[in-house]
Amino acid sequence: MTVFLNPNAWQPAPPRLIETAPILEVKGIQKRYGDIQAVANVDMSVYPGEIMGIVGESGSGKSTLLRMLHLEEPADAGSYKLNIDGWQDRELLQLDRFEQRKLRVSHIGIVYQHPHLGLRMHNTSSGNVAERLLVAGERTYSTLRQAAVSSLAASEFPLQRMDDLPRHLSGGMQQRVQLAKAIAMEPALLLLDEPTSGLDVSVQARVLDTLKSLQQQQKISTVLVSHDLGVIRTLADRVMVMRGGHVIEAGLTDQILEDPQEAYTQQLVHAKL
Amino acid sequence: MQTLASLKKSSDAYSFGFLDAFAKRELRRKILKAVAIPGYQVPYASREMPIARGWGTGGLQATLALAGPSSKVKVIDQGSDDSVNAANLRRFIARMTGCDATRDTLECTILQSRHRCPEERLKRGQVLVLQVPDPETLRSVEPNMTRARLMHADQDYGLMWLKLYEQLVRFGRFVQGASYPSLVNGRYVMSPSPIPRWDVPTLHQAQHLTILSAGREKRIYAVPPFTRVEPLEFTDEFFQVEEQSDWTCDRTGQRYKFMNEIPETDGTARHEISDTGYADKLIQKKEGEAVTLGETYYDDNGTFYHDGFLKS
Amino acid sequence: MYVAAKGGEEAIQQAERLYHDLKGKLTPEMVEQVEKGMPYLLDRIMGESSLYAPQLAALALAQAGGDTYEAVLILRAYRSTQPRLAYALPIDSNSMTVVRRISAAFKDIPGGQILGPTLDYSHRLLRLDVLDKELVAEDSGTAELQAADEPSPKQYPPVTDWQRTQKMLPELDSIENPEPADLPDLTREPIMFPTSRPHRLQALARADTGGLLALGYANMRGFGPVHPTVNEVRLSYARVQLKHPVTGTVFSVGNIRVSHAEVVQTTKASKDKVGLELGFCATFGWNEVKNIAGSMLDLAMDREDVHPAFTEEFVLYHTESVESSGFCIHLKLPHYVTFTSGMDAMKDAMMGVGMAQMPTSSKAFEKQDAKSPAPEADLETDEKVSPITAVESESETESEKEMS
Repeated sequence: MTVFLNPNAWQPAPPRLIETAPILEVKGIQKRYGDIQAVANVDMSVYPGEIMGIVGESGSGKSTLLRMLHLEEPADAGSYKLNIDGWQDRELLQLDRFEQRKLRVSHIGIVYQHPHLGLRMHNTSSGNVAERLLVAGERTYSTLRQAAVSSLAASEFPLQRMDDLPRHLSGGMQQRVQLAKAIAMEPALLLLDEPTSGLDVSVQARVLDTLKSLQQQQKISTVLVSHDLGVIRTLADRVMVMRGGHVIEAGLTDQILEDPQEAYTQQLVHAKL
Repeated sequence: MQTLASLKKSSDAYSFGFLDAFAKRELRRKILKAVAIPGYQVPYASREMPIARGWGTGGLQATLALAGPSSKVKVIDQGSDDSVNAANLRRFIARMTGCDATRDTLECTILQSRHRCPEERLKRGQVLVLQVPDPETLRSVEPNMTRARLMHADQDYGLMWLKLYEQLVRFGRFVQGASYPSLVNGRYVMSPSPIPRWDVPTLHQAQHLTILSAGREKRIYAVPPFTRVEPLEFTDEFFQVEEQSDWTCDRTGQRYKFMNEIPETDGTARHEISDTGYADKLIQKKEGEAVTLGETYYDDNGTFYHDGFLKS
Repeated sequence: MYVAAKGGEEAIQQAERLYHDLKGKLTPEMVEQVEKGMPYLLDRIMGESSLYAPQLAALALAQAGGDTYEAVLILRAYRSTQPRLAYALPIDSNSMTVVRRISAAFKDIPGGQILGPTLDYSHRLLRLDVLDKELVAEDSGTAELQAADEPSPKQYPPVTDWQRTQKMLPELDSIENPEPADLPDLTREPIMFPTSRPHRLQALARADTGGLLALGYANMRGFGPVHPTVNEVRLSYARVQLKHPVTGTVFSVGNIRVSHAEVVQTTKASKDKVGLELGFCATFGWNEVKNIAGSMLDLAMDREDVHPAFTEEFVLYHTESVESSGFCIHLKLPHYVTFTSGMDAMKDAMMGVGMAQMPTSSKAFEKQDAKSPAPEADLETDEKVSPITAVESESETESEKEMS
């Protein structure tokens, strides 16, 4: 494992002992808003079952990158592939609206920092989870109920409240509903966008525990965006540090956090620790 | 001798069927398109008619575009030929086409209706024209028409199903009253217009053509003969028609037809068959007159004529 | 019963007769009076009807007893019976005879500010004196009109011309020999969104005056993005010309009253898009309020992320006068079948669940404070309640099914 300091020269290298092909592979992805280069020529890959953390301050491009991975924000250039049955050879940035939805529903789950982005606040919590299966074509009510129960249970949501509206729930519970919705279809890829940033410290810790144990049980390949190094340290196997749309440093989480090479990363780490 | 004055049509003269020839041509083309794509809402110009928007202008335009001199037209509102609005539309159609009007479902070639289908089965060659206030069945989950159109294009009906799921969770049953969303020919979900659930199955694999026309919203759609119309339901929770099995018609003594509930001053209610044309014929028959009663969609035990289509 | 049920047809005829009886007789003199005496009301009606015909508008108004929604409906329905036989040539705004044009953007403008006929600076005192005496010909309440010292210029250059030379506004796309018959016609095809420019302007031109005003006012008062300056308001007479289908000779079929408004606002969209943005609205007849509100909405509708009430679909659907008024009064029609159907669907539900609990609770998981879960209680629950297992809740789902 080598970390190159020149961002343009940096190539994703698989962690040791993992010899399988990456499940997610992105090359040269770019996004511009007017004069601002939000994401500049980023390469990344995620291997089956690993959590890839992306850390950076606000405006670094990490959330834009995540939205592009979720195909809700079109990229200006680049390549994006997922190694999933039926989609291996498809260039995902070229998909039409219909195919984007199909791919998202079956294979990509997302948890947003703001629950209102991920949840229908006027539908029940269980309905929010069941919607994923309904969109995918499930038409048996008892199956929908069971799926909602098991996904909510896996995200450690108190089941006696499964038919409450999310707007009657606390922030932590709303995030658990989002998580249950995201994993309801057993996705190949889970995207977490600051999943605990809006929560109280104690609630945050419990949601992180849930994410950790879920990851241990289900081994879903995950991209985790956070400005919080504590969250990254708890969950991520590898980490990319972003600044001004560029990846400035990447590697194993322990390595980056213990021995940061870039001045900016050093500042981040020291400010936190 | 012809003069300019003698060539001028009189100022109260109207074209056959009121609409000018261009309007009728457009309507007929759009109706053909609607028949070709069952359940798909075809946008059309929808000219203003001399009755207010929302009062059946869509159905009226379809009827006027279809009617010829030999057509026989029946018009009902809430099942009744004598509802003031039905009477008004019938009067207008007769005035503008000279067509005969009838109250007998079996006799009519065109049946224009608001909120009901007849109890007697319509046959091949007959056209049911349903007035539609809101053609967009997705409106309750997506009020924006532009986005709703995209959802239809993508067959993106997840939110409709979610609505049904939520009803089961909250109420233990489907609580949609009229306008029950139904899948046409396995492709488009449509609003069958605000007919009661009792009537929705009568559109399924029917012998007649159904035209659904929304004048104010400028959309026309159709269910051609022998086309599947499936009310949305789960494989283990079923669509149900209105439960009126213990109601008996006060006028005819009949049961198992769709009834109106009429409150009485003593706090009770009496019931009457909503299809007045059919009820009138039942009474005439009882009084010994020679009338023909057609086969009905629901028999005297309340069983629907397509075996097994309604599950319980 | 059977005989009584036949009464529907008779009843509606009598109801119509009663209406006319109370309203008074419709006579040619009355139509003439309306046409002569209420030009601004006719302008409004003709604009909303997409039909320029003062006599017919007066007839419709008289026939409807002054109900403007009825009058517009009558005229539009009449229009449905008329084939479109010919297309007028485009009217160059420079060829119009302008009687009033003002700009709020500049103190003075090329060609000058022309106040023209307006009540803008009048005292709105109710003229009770008119009721006191017999009306005589000279009593119009005003002194005699004085002729101007100089005849007014024949043409007034549009204010936008100057702004375009100053590069405040982009150059107009030049359209060579526009073919009027090729322009989309909103009365012959449905509106779809996003609209074409002709459809949008046509929809604004025939929109309900009060509807446009309400939305325009909401926009300028603070719920919308546009706080514009009136660049120019014009009232004019325009000559309508046709081309003879055989000889090709161009001939005039008469003059019509038209008006338009332009509003401008400085663009703050981005650095590379500096200057002014223009909103436009034009109508048959002289309708100043409607044009100003409409041009403002024209501008607002182009904004991204605009308040939902100012999107194109929202504005143009909901200011359609015939559709909105018709749908509103249709609620008077009987709805007893749909009502029965709806009540039937709710009956079981009402018996199964208490009405008060319906929105939040389910049958499967009864809990104590279903009605008002406080956020504090939520946090506690988050901490203390451990999730029950999937197996347990499966059985509960079963029991729920039995209950339903």
